Amino acid sequence: MFRHNTLRYAVLIFLAGAALFQALTAGYFGLEILTEILVLAILVLALDIVAGFGGMVSLCHGALAGVGAYAYALLSAKAGIAPPVAMAGAVAVTGAAGWIIGAVCSRSHGIYFIMATLAFGQMAYSYVFEAPVFGGDDGLGGIERLDLSLIGLDLNDSRTFALFCLALLGAVYGAAVLILRSGLGRSLSGVMHNEQRMRALGLTVWRVKADVFGLSGMIAGLAGVLAAQHVMFISPGLLGWTVSGEALVVVILGGLGTLVGPLVGAAAFVVLKHELSAVTTYWHLVVGVILIAVVISRANGIFGWVEARWGARIERRVADATRKQQPGEVARDA
Amino acid sequence: MLETRNLDKSFGAVHVTRNVSLKLERGERRVILGPNGAGKTTLFNQLVGELTPDSGSVHLAGEDVTALPVAKRARRGLSRSYQKNTLFDGLTVEENLGLAAAVHTGHATQLWSDSLAKSEVREIVAEVAEQVNLMPFLHAKVSEISYGVRRQLEVGVALATRPLVLLMDEPTSGVGPEMSKGFHDLLNNLPRDLTMLIIEHDMDLAFDVADTITVLNYGEVVFDGLPEEARGSTLLKEIYLGSWENA
Ligand SMILES: Nc1ncnc2c1ncn2[C@@H]1O[C@H](COP(=O)(O)OP(=O)(O)O)[C@@H](O)[C@H]1O
Ligand SMILES: [Mg+2]
Repeated sequence: MFRHNTLRYAVLIFLAGAALFQALTAGYFGLEILTEILVLAILVLALDIVAGFGGMVSLCHGALAGVGAYAYALLSAKAGIAPPVAMAGAVAVTGAAGWIIGAVCSRSHGIYFIMATLAFGQMAYSYVFEAPVFGGDDGLGGIERLDLSLIGLDLNDSRTFALFCLALLGAVYGAAVLILRSGLGRSLSGVMHNEQRMRALGLTVWRVKADVFGLSGMIAGLAGVLAAQHVMFISPGLLGWTVSGEALVVVILGGLGTLVGPLVGAAAFVVLKHELSAVTTYWHLVVGVILIAVVISRANGIFGWVEARWGARIERRVADATRKQQPGEVARDA
Repeated sequence: MLETRNLDKSFGAVHVTRNVSLKLERGERRVILGPNGAGKTTLFNQLVGELTPDSGSVHLAGEDVTALPVAKRARRGLSRSYQKNTLFDGLTVEENLGLAAAVHTGHATQLWSDSLAKSEVREIVAEVAEQVNLMPFLHAKVSEISYGVRRQLEVGVALATRPLVLLMDEPTSGVGPEMSKGFHDLLNNLPRDLTMLIIEHDMDLAFDVADTITVLNYGEVVFDGLPEEARGSTLLKEIYLGSWENA
C-alpha cells in the first residue's frame, strides 16, 4: 500500500529542484536530455502503478505510449483536429486500449501475463508498421506541439517545453498518488497481496485490474504524446517491445512499487545512456551489468536500497525531533 | 438461509462429496465434524463457489446461487474464513479488515476517495476488531502478530464484509486449547442473527457453540442433529475413536 515517508518527500523535493534548476539554466543539449528524462519518467510511473502496486508486469507499455503518439499524430496532423483535443483523444484511446488489455489479461499471472501483454504490444507494432495510414517504416513527421500562446507560452522553445513536461510529470505523479490512495488503489493492493481472498470478499477482481490498467494506459499514452511532440517525428520503433523492456528496466533499476524510485531510475538511465554512449558504443553492456548487480543484490532498485538502509533511521530521527520539540514549547508557554 | 441439495463432487476416482444435503435456518449455528480428509473443506469450497459441484445445488437466502461466481455470492452475504491463513500479509491488521469492509460498503472500486478513510469503513473495522479481540493489534503488520492472533484476523476479515452467513474452516486449528476456548466464547458473543457454519476438529469444543451438528465421513453426511443426540450416538463414537483419532 502506497505511503509517503520523509525520505520519499526529501527525494521528491530534490528531484523537482534539480529538474527545475536544469530546466532554467541548461543549454539546448541539456534541455533535450531533461525532456527525455521527464517523458520517460511519466511512462515508468504508468508502469509502476500496474507492476509495482498490482503485480501486473506489463511488456506493452511502450506500445501503449506508441499508440498514444500515433493517435495524436493522426488526429492532429492528418485529421486536422486541434492539438489539445487531439491530445485528449489520444489519451482516451490508450486508456481504452489499456482497459481492454487489463480485462483480457486479468486471469493470467506471472509469465503468462507478461507474454499476453507482449503479444498485445507486438500486435500494435505490426499493425502500425504494416498499415499505410501510419506511414510504415518511414514514420510520420510534421507533428505539432501544443499551442499555448493564449497563456503566453511558446512550446516550440525547448526550455518552455521542458518546463511544460515537468509540470505534466508533477501532475501525473499527483494523479498516481491519488489513484493508489483511492478505493480502487487500495483494492489493487489487496489483489496483489492475495487475489483469492479479495475475490472471496466479493470484489470483482478483473474490473479492478482493467480499471487500473486503463488509467495506467492513459498515463502511458500521455508519455507517448509528449514524446511525439518532443521529437516532432514518430516511427514504428516507438511501439517496439524493447521500449517496454527498457521501461521495465528503469522501474526495476529505480525501485519497483515505490513511485519515487522509477523517477530516480529514469534520471539515472537517461544520464547513464548519454554519458556512456559518448564514451563507448557498448553502453547497453554497462547498463546490463548495473541491472544485474541491482537484481542480484536483492535490493529493490537504487531507491529501494537507499530506503532499506536509511529510510527507517530518518523516520526515527524525525519522530525523535518532533517529540523533543513539544516539551520545549510547553516550557516556553509556561 | 443456506441450503445444499444433493451436492456431489469427485476428484477423478476420489468421491469427496456424496449427495450432501444441508439446511441452515437464519441464526443457526451448525458445526461440521469429521475426520481429516472427510471432505469438509471441499464442501466449503463448493458452498462459496471456489469449486463447482458435479451435481446438486447451493441456495442462499432462498435463491439458487450454484451458477454464481465467488465474488457475487460473497456480495449476497456469504463469507468464509480459511483453514490455512489467507490474509494480506504485507499489510496491517487494520488494512486487512478495511479492505474487506470497503468491498461491503461499495467503496472498494471508487477512484475519488480513499476507501480506508471512509467513516463507514472505519466503523466496521473498529466493530470487528472489538468482536474478535484485535484492538491491540490494529497497527501491527500480519507478519508481526502471533499465529493465534492471525487466526482471529482470519475470521475478522470474513466478518468485516458483514455477512448473513459466515463459514469458518477450523478457526482454531493449530492454536492451543485455552485459546480455542476463548475463541468459542468470542463466537458465542457474535450477533444471534448471524448464521454460522463452522468446521471444527475437536468434538468437545464443538459443543460449546453448536445449535446443530453435522458429521461428515468419506464425503457423506452420517449424522445431522442436535448436540445432545450427537453425544450419545454410537456411530459418532466409532468414527471419533476410530479413524478420527488416528487421522
Ligand atoms: N483439488 C483437489 N484435487 C484432488 N483431490 C483433492 C483436492 N482437494 C481435496 N482433495 C481430496 O479430497 C479429500 C477431502 O479433502 P478436504 O475437503 O480437504 O478434507 P477435510 O477438510 O475434511 O480434511 C481428501 O482426500 C483430499 O486429498
Ligand atoms: Mg479441511
